[in-house]
Amino acid sequence: MPASSEAARAGGADAATEHTATEHAAREQTATEQAAAEQVVVLPKHLHARPAGQVAQAAARYPDTRIELVADGRTADARSILAVMGLGAVAGSEVRVRATGAEGLAATATVVAILTSAEE
Amino acid sequence: MVGIVLISHSPGLAEGAAELVGQIAGGARVVAAGGTEDGQLGTSTRRIRDAIAKADQGSGVLLIPDLGSAVLSARSVLADLDEDTSRIVLADAPFIEGAVSAGVVASTGADLAAVLQAAVEARDARKF
Repeated sequence: MPASSEAARAGGADAATEHTATEHAAREQTATEQAAAEQVVVLPKHLHARPAGQVAQAAARYPDTRIELVADGRTADARSILAVMGLGAVAGSEVRVRATGAEGLAATATVVAILTSAEE
Repeated sequence: MVGIVLISHSPGLAEGAAELVGQIAGGARVVAAGGTEDGQLGTSTRRIRDAIAKADQGSGVLLIPDLGSAVLSARSVLADLDEDTSRIVLADAPFIEGAVSAGVVASTGADLAAVLQAAVEARDARKF
């Protein structure tokens, strides 16, 4: 699992212009106090049952953080495997991971790691 | 961890669904209760009872029936249970989607109410 600071840098690189306030907040707070984090990934694989299940399982480890995936204008609660599968996100498409709450950065990094892992 | 019992008229359907949930929701405890005692299409209260005993690890068991008499047989088993029946709950949920959704939530160590909710919410989930 990537460290939270890595997620902050990666998120900044991807979304620096539109999320300046968020990134500034990230620098002001420790990872566990982070309010919101966001990162866009390009899927190396289809987001079907098994990775969706891994995302939902991982999201449950952050009970105080709301984690959403946005793909092609549709939003899914990361805790719901059915909602995540329902996005129908295929390899090569962009998915935005957005986490709001106590552990936003860590949650984003965890979900991004699952989405971008090559296996399966 | 909350256990899950999949009750189907078909042994193959129950076992296949349990296998699928096991693959997707690694770590979940899912037990199949399919078919009659002689392996024909139908439901068996004895198979359901045995499956509950196997699935029960102390945190409760969620029963997911496929159709019709699977519901009736499950209710009959619940009515005959000696123990605290609030720990064993029957879900009104789609069989496959409910099992997968509940299995993932159960695998995270969530309580019975959360696992039941995950199963029931599956009714409203769009497939695509």
